[in-house]
Amino acid sequence: MRVRPDVTVVVIAYNDAWRLPRAVASTLEQSLGGVETVIVDDASTDGTGEIADRLAAAHPGRVRAVHLPSNSGGCGRPRNTGIEASAGRYVMFLDSDDLLDRHACLNLFAAAEDAGADLASGLCDRIFLDVPPGAKGRVRPWYPWLYRRRAVYGPLEEHPDLLYDTLSTNKAYRRDFLDEHGLRFVERLHYEDLLFTAEAYLAARRTALIPHRVYNWLVRERTPAPSISNRRADLANFADRLEIHRRIDMLFALRGAHDLRRAKDVKFVNHDLALYLRELRDRDPGYRSRFLDLAAGYLAELDPRVFEEAHPLPAIAAYLIREGDHAAALAAAEHGGAVKRPELRAQLVERDGRVFWGTGRPRGTLGRRILDVTDFGFHLRPLKDLRPGNTVTLLEVRGGRVRMAGYVLNPLGRIRPDAELSATLEFGDRRHRARKGRVRAAVRHEGDRLAWRAEFDPRRRIRPVGFVDPVWDVRLRVRVDGEDVVTRLGEGPGSPPLGGVELPVRPRLTRLAADRLRSYVTGGGHLAFSLESGTPWARLAGSTARRAATSPAGRLAWGLVGRRARRTEKAVRRTLTSRTTKIAVFNRVLSRLPVRQGLAVFETHLGRRYSDNPKYIYRELRRSGRPVDAVWSYASSPKGFPGDARLVRRGSWAYFLALARARYWIDNQGYPDGLRKRPETTYIQTWHGSAFKLMGQDQPRVKSGSAAERARLRRSVERFDCFLVRSGHDVETLCAGLGVRSELLPAGYPRNDPLVNGVDGDPELAAEVDGLRRSLGLDAGDGRRAVLYAPTFATGPKGRPVRLLEPPIAPGVFARELGEEFVLLVRPHYLCRANLPPGAHAVMRDVGDVPDVTPLLLLADALITDHSSIMFDFALLDRPIVLHLPGGRDRTAGYFDLERHAPGPITRTEDELVAALAGLDDADAGHAPRRRAFAERFGEHDRGTAARTVADRYFPAARPRHKGERRRKGEYRRRGEQHGRTA
Amino acid sequence: MAAPRDVFIVCNNADDMGGLQRWAHHLARLLAGRGDRVTLVGITRGTRPYHHGRDGSYAVEVLHAEWRPPAMAWRPATLRQRLDVSARARDLWRRAAQRRGAARLSELFAAARPGSVVIAAQVWAMEWVRLADTSGLRVVGMSHESYAATRASSRYRRVREHYADVDRMLVLTAEDADAWARNGMTNVDYIPNALHVTPDVHPTLDLPVVACVGRLSYEKGVDLMLEAWERVSARHPGWRLHVYGSGPDGERLRAQAAEAGLLGGAGPTGSVEFRGVVADVEEALVEASVFALPSRAEGFPMSVLEAMAYGLPTVAFDCAPGVRALLGERTGALVEPGDTAAFARELERLIEDPDLRRALGAEARASVLRFHPDTVLERWDRLFDLLHRDLPSGDPAGEPVRDGREPVLEGDSF
Repeated sequence: MRVRPDVTVVVIAYNDAWRLPRAVASTLEQSLGGVETVIVDDASTDGTGEIADRLAAAHPGRVRAVHLPSNSGGCGRPRNTGIEASAGRYVMFLDSDDLLDRHACLNLFAAAEDAGADLASGLCDRIFLDVPPGAKGRVRPWYPWLYRRRAVYGPLEEHPDLLYDTLSTNKAYRRDFLDEHGLRFVERLHYEDLLFTAEAYLAARRTALIPHRVYNWLVRERTPAPSISNRRADLANFADRLEIHRRIDMLFALRGAHDLRRAKDVKFVNHDLALYLRELRDRDPGYRSRFLDLAAGYLAELDPRVFEEAHPLPAIAAYLIREGDHAAALAAAEHGGAVKRPELRAQLVERDGRVFWGTGRPRGTLGRRILDVTDFGFHLRPLKDLRPGNTVTLLEVRGGRVRMAGYVLNPLGRIRPDAELSATLEFGDRRHRARKGRVRAAVRHEGDRLAWRAEFDPRRRIRPVGFVDPVWDVRLRVRVDGEDVVTRLGEGPGSPPLGGVELPVRPRLTRLAADRLRSYVTGGGHLAFSLESGTPWARLAGSTARRAATSPAGRLAWGLVGRRARRTEKAVRRTLTSRTTKIAVFNRVLSRLPVRQGLAVFETHLGRRYSDNPKYIYRELRRSGRPVDAVWSYASSPKGFPGDARLVRRGSWAYFLALARARYWIDNQGYPDGLRKRPETTYIQTWHGSAFKLMGQDQPRVKSGSAAERARLRRSVERFDCFLVRSGHDVETLCAGLGVRSELLPAGYPRNDPLVNGVDGDPELAAEVDGLRRSLGLDAGDGRRAVLYAPTFATGPKGRPVRLLEPPIAPGVFARELGEEFVLLVRPHYLCRANLPPGAHAVMRDVGDVPDVTPLLLLADALITDHSSIMFDFALLDRPIVLHLPGGRDRTAGYFDLERHAPGPITRTEDELVAALAGLDDADAGHAPRRRAFAERFGEHDRGTAARTVADRYFPAARPRHKGERRRKGEYRRRGEQHGRTA
Repeated sequence: MAAPRDVFIVCNNADDMGGLQRWAHHLARLLAGRGDRVTLVGITRGTRPYHHGRDGSYAVEVLHAEWRPPAMAWRPATLRQRLDVSARARDLWRRAAQRRGAARLSELFAAARPGSVVIAAQVWAMEWVRLADTSGLRVVGMSHESYAATRASSRYRRVREHYADVDRMLVLTAEDADAWARNGMTNVDYIPNALHVTPDVHPTLDLPVVACVGRLSYEKGVDLMLEAWERVSARHPGWRLHVYGSGPDGERLRAQAAEAGLLGGAGPTGSVEFRGVVADVEEALVEASVFALPSRAEGFPMSVLEAMAYGLPTVAFDCAPGVRALLGERTGALVEPGDTAAFARELERLIEDPDLRRALGAEARASVLRFHPDTVLERWDRLFDLLHRDLPSGDPAGEPVRDGREPVLEGDSF
């Protein structure tokens, strides 16, 4: 009696004699014993059929071969034939150029049996054979998010996301299930998988998913004849795909499954269409327009809701194709690609306070909803992150000189007409960014774009080395009011053909290496150059060099010396500049150097800003003329830091050297972990706010963490020599939580001195506040009051901060209800960014970029916050505070019951907040006593003298310095005084 | 029931007083109890041998009476290490000794009937199994800890290497299996440990006692337990905390409890008792009403399994897949790791509500049946069956061809 095999693997093959044995071997090697293999040969002409027969003969009972009488031209008929021929309880499909994982059958069979599922599906890995083994991007899993964990789903409605995985090959189907529902592949159409899987998902009572890889899809991109499903260049191919989609739509419509149909169409927009659109740039114009016509035809049939449910950029692309705006559609598709920081190649328009994609005015509510890209923050992003597209309109060589011209988009007029502009063209070796040729370009503001133009002699300006730098690309660096915007040159509307222009160059190595850079356009649509030679001698030299490099001896030499040298060079550079090295050198070498008396290193929030307590201590030291040699650390840009201090970049050698030799460290957060503070250095830790949220060792995350992590925290806190406290509350909570053992200086916070004293005695700060007021457009004539909205960050579902801060009241509502009376200053936590639409400008201002919060507090008439520590500071001003805690934000564990001790009213909804603001003055009489008690409790030591107290405690007073007086160095040491040079 | 088989369970050692050995002997007894011929193999002898309820129903073998070569294989990373002659010599010595042990293992395997299975319980033991001749047998490799714990240790690399080609790799929970599968181990599956106690008496759940059983070490988090207990005992002075176990942190924990005024005498000032190691877990569990697991890291905590079997509701930190797999919604409370305030709240909820304790306890007793020996044995049977499922006709599917996990492509002609 013949026992039924557990699984039949149907291997289909067409003219693939060389790979078929490998595919069949992967089924014979299965860890599940009861596997039968059925090879279906689609009437091959290269001997595949004979190979199949030979395999069947070699493994009787385990392998069978079936031959189709004539070629079917697709995968449908061979697979159907295979199903008919199969004996197994489950059927799987394998293409002759792919491989099954060794445990695929066992895993799928067990999963299906355990769950009683009709269909079991596992992960498919695409393996890109053109990428060398071990390199990044060789193995790319197919929709891995579907396969994160094992799952059993009921009907498809429960989990329509399954529709994303439309492969038929990574699955096992119960044979009886296929028969019961008459499930077979359509023939004579490509993408038969899509329809087959949709029908199977729909029919399955139960579907099991496993995270195990079951199928290896071997992809060969650089090949003269890509496999059938990868031939996207063929227009008929796309027509087939649309036909399949229409049939799936019909299938769902017949079953009344409109939600599923929509889910499938959303997937079409997100995945299928986007895939084609991103390749469209490479196609010829005829193909492009016929393609877009086909697509527009199908998109017109879709439910408009599909556009709303799809991801924003693919939805914009699909919508604009339907509307006929092809350029903007392609720009959206490219912007939505997998590129990390995509270019912005479309114009944007601002209408009614929102930002829309494309130049045209969006039509209808649907258009307005789809094209709205306000949330992307193009109007707020720093210019250098905007990455506007750059289109070349002229590229020619005449008389040995190159003339180039083009334009950079200026979306939303972000670059103002009065901006100071300059530009440089940078030609660079793609492999070695350091090798560059720079050319000045003339640049002119033309409204919605910047036109540029350059003319130069490439032989003098661009000097390739030869042989080692075969590919060059070019960027335009535009300097706008001191800020650099780097754009890549590319083709676009108005471009002449950019390929094939030859720039004469003289390589440094030898003229035999090459004599010109020949332009071409990359797959991403950018202009690039390849180093080539025109003369026969040079060509001979080039081919000789290449042959030498690729000869066995050359390869050996390269492998032994060249590659290793390069790797070593990289490794050495990485090691030398790594933080670990710097910290080790700091601890072992730098901190043995003599301390420079009077040298103080200041840092605020890891160098992010010039602000907070260190700033006010610094100002006090300067004001009182104390002889301090000040160094400020900055994280990325020295902009905004004081000019009369030495500035060092955080993490640089100069930074570590300054820290090693400093007499004082003054900081509000923490210097790098692992730095051992020497005993001669005094670390004044000012901290950056009283605590409501649990701190340090009190945080659950730290408590449950490793002992090493806690020890690290302890070590870094043990470095403090002084810790500023504002009240007994700080001592009980903050100091206990962090485990501070240093001297606690009950001085209050230096940053709060102006809040207690006012700015009258401090003209510098008064000017700063006035300047801020002016720059925010809140002049005295305005008459509206400023309300500061400054919440802390909200934690997202993954425990990370939510990056976008929405205003607490919709701008429209705010304008209507409170716009006459208030202006809202939105201050996001420094980890976040405010999401204000341009239309909100009338009533709201983003003050996220203001480095120091103290002037903001001074000019704010009221504060809205949640459990941010800003409330403890603002309370000192005795101005109204509203605690806005939507969605149970107060349930965050804290050191005290916020509701009971709140310094003002608590609101939970937008309406409540509007009401609270509208009745601010009337209600204030009731809240003032509580607020004063709050201020008294948490600002116990804030008496307006904090900065002076710190200075007096640690810094000796300035002594008048007489000219000509020379002091011996030993004298300082004996007296223990710390005089440096005065600034 | 499936036909009797020969089963070999290979551990680092089979006679130390550890959780793994207890598991190995338990499984050996279970399989032997229903007719399998079981051989429990220890690579080496344990330092302090313990009998583990050995009843003669299965054989116990030891490959090396003493293991003196280096424990780990030599893996030179730099050129300098590669030139280290003495290390190279020690490794040769190790390999020779290992080969001798593997030869002994091959002898044992050679006597096996068709359809036999080798279970390598630990990755170190797997080194010997890999060297031995396993033709005709199926090999199962096991990891008895969570994926995260392996990932953070040197075992990760060895698991990836030694378990890559085994017919099945087993971990304890579905969540861990999924993590390994995402990591590329396509042979991974899971079988939980079987419950190894059969309660005769059950706690009444009205004694005012919370029990906490575990080694007194950092990862078991007894310090967090004491922190939470400070809050609890302030409001429920009548309740007592019994801490069972010993370990390196014993002194420190006693000091912590004393500092918080939880030690010594009766009443609210002395509500914590350190009761040392308990010989029979029943003693500890029958006089408690709530079980607490304050661990920072766990694999598949057998103490929770036991507590559930005794019908105790459990409060635990949600620290590992094993804990999540054991404790469902209605058998206890899972608390965000490290949140001692919430841990105290959950304890108090159970302390204040005897009915809730009973409901959760009853649910726990029912839920623990998932880990009943019969249920777990069924899973093992199913696995053995899957591994030995040959097509009756055609060539004998003897030795499966072993290739790498990534398909071998280099040898291709294209």
